[in-house]
Amino acid sequence: MIIHVKKFGTTLVSRPTGKEAWLAFQPVLNESSKDEKIIVDFEGVIVLTPSWADEFLTPLRERFGDRVTLQNIKNPSVVATLAILTK
Amino acid sequence: MQDTLISIGNAAQLLNVSIDTLRRWDISGRLQSIRSGPRGHRYYRQSDIDQYIEEARLLARDWAESPHALEPKSDMYCQTRDVFQARLETFQSKLRHVAPLQTVSLVTAVAGEIGNNSFDHNLGNWPDISGIFFSYSLRSKYVVLADRGQGILATLKRVRPELTQASEALKVSFTETISGRFPETRGNGLKFVRSVIIDNPLTLSFQTGDAHLYLKQKDNTIVVNKAKTYLRGCFAIIGFEDLL
Repeated sequence: MIIHVKKFGTTLVSRPTGKEAWLAFQPVLNESSKDEKIIVDFEGVIVLTPSWADEFLTPLRERFGDRVTLQNIKNPSVVATLAILTK
Repeated sequence: MQDTLISIGNAAQLLNVSIDTLRRWDISGRLQSIRSGPRGHRYYRQSDIDQYIEEARLLARDWAESPHALEPKSDMYCQTRDVFQARLETFQSKLRHVAPLQTVSLVTAVAGEIGNNSFDHNLGNWPDISGIFFSYSLRSKYVVLADRGQGILATLKRVRPELTQASEALKVSFTETISGRFPETRGNGLKFVRSVIIDNPLTLSFQTGDAHLYLKQKDNTIVVNKAKTYLRGCFAIIGFEDLL
């Protein structure tokens, strides 16, 4: 499964919108098969902050662990956000 | 030196307002134009525009410090998070016309984190005026944000009762992962802001209570100074002159 993050918006900065994205996406996540990889694709995202990411990526990683991989993470705010979240 | 005259379109772009807004401001006397040419088109003195742009920082500080609780001017006031999100996206879109993606991405992220921090920590608890002051100048290359919230000391005191000074609280908020919204395990927003500033040619001036800090690229140590004046909430200026 590929999650195209830009479908939630390209300026992802607040906790409420991150939480809403997480909740809204549950039905899709529930359809994933047992060993399916969850690829999070940041292509097209212009701005990401730890507030948004902490409401979406953190629970995603908690639920799916090593099955989650990230791609297209070169945007500077994505790089800075991921560095803070993994600390 | 003779003052340059600029068109209403250019003035609107510099002030991030519409041409109609400038016409209204002209009629009301808030920012007056000079009529020139056979059709009497509106022009603006560069010095008047410069003064107005400079004023946004002063207006924000006055608003945050004032003992009188008044709503800011509507074009600089985000009463709710949704309004802030929309205006932040407008800012981002305008910045994209003059700056590379790297600048747009980082400056918007820092502004977004600081602005949303105000909402996160004061929701349902605003002492008087809810929401934030948000303005910017693409010409002078700064973003200004302010709130009349509870301030960082009051917020962090809930989880760190031993904190007594705004200066200690300010330092903690920029250096430790701690949340004033216990039991939530959040609280890395201002650490993120710091990491972006010290890795990039950006500056940040931040005040809460009587504590002030100034951060720039490669500033690995946090130095908090006593501010000249007191403000209960938070006041921040992000400078991005060197990132363009």
